[in-house]
Amino acid sequence: MTNREKYVQAFVEGLEINADQTEGLAYEAIPEWDSVGHMNLIGCLEEAFDIMMETDDIIELNSFEKGIEILKKYGITIA
Amino acid sequence: MANAIVTGASRGIGRAIVEKFASEGICIWACSHNPDTELEVWYAGLAEKHGVFIRPVYFDLADEQSVSGAMKGIFAENLPVDILVNNAGIPSGGLMNMTSTGELRRVLDINFVSQVRIMQLVSRKMMRQGNGSIINMGSVGGLEARPGYLAYGSSKAALMWATRSVSKELGPYGIRVNAVAPGLVDTDMGSYKKDEEARKIISGMPIQRKGEPMEIANAVYFLASDESSFITGSIINVDGGRIV
Repeated sequence: MTNREKYVQAFVEGLEINADQTEGLAYEAIPEWDSVGHMNLIGCLEEAFDIMMETDDIIELNSFEKGIEILKKYGITIA
Repeated sequence: MANAIVTGASRGIGRAIVEKFASEGICIWACSHNPDTELEVWYAGLAEKHGVFIRPVYFDLADEQSVSGAMKGIFAENLPVDILVNNAGIPSGGLMNMTSTGELRRVLDINFVSQVRIMQLVSRKMMRQGNGSIINMGSVGGLEARPGYLAYGSSKAALMWATRSVSKELGPYGIRVNAVAPGLVDTDMGSYKKDEEARKIISGMPIQRKGEPMEIANAVYFLASDESSFITGSIINVDGGRIV
């Protein structure tokens, strides 16, 4: 599984949405990505990439694209 | 077999919690500030006696990176973390006008902010597991307003409020969050109060003595175990009836 596939899968599992909903998705743009969904998403991302995210990054992760940028800080490149 | 992170494990109540948990078959990451060979020998003996692991973990609560690094190290073992006991803390005394803002920040940082930081990190692992029990070490000093304990009392009051608030946030994930509020306990930290003040407090209590560290550890174990499976957001006073 590529990093991008793992990343998309984290959104699918964490927010319980379909893969085709992930591109361009923003925090609170859909009911599933509320504060509870957000913590589920963070849990899935941490597990998928075996990282422990800093609180500031958890707060700043407010879109699918922003998440890709943030994960670079943890040495994860999503092509 | 359950696994627990216990902070402030090197002495007093924390040491009793390690002893109690080990005797109940709980494996422990025993967290404290300074490496201590004697303590590690004691851990090893206790672990062997009860067939558990007790791994010493050292970090500085005042240093956020040190806390994160220690938790990362624990999580890297890929074992479930079933229990977190936020027991570490520091005493502080002084009237409001004798308490510098620096001291106030130091005490709040260690007794409150750091504890929340650890809850943030550990709860995310517990959320993925779908279970967990967090026990914060409060204090009747955070419930009972007494002159001369602005920094300490405020820090413990904040931690106990956080306990109740966070219990609502983490309940849906199967995580229970409770606190124990000890009164006077026969430890180094419990001896922080002057003898005369301690005697005055004890004379007004239904059970007229200091508590033993193991009496606090027993309450912590109860909250950690499934015996308390329907209890969350609670503060259990273990104080000889000091606050009734």
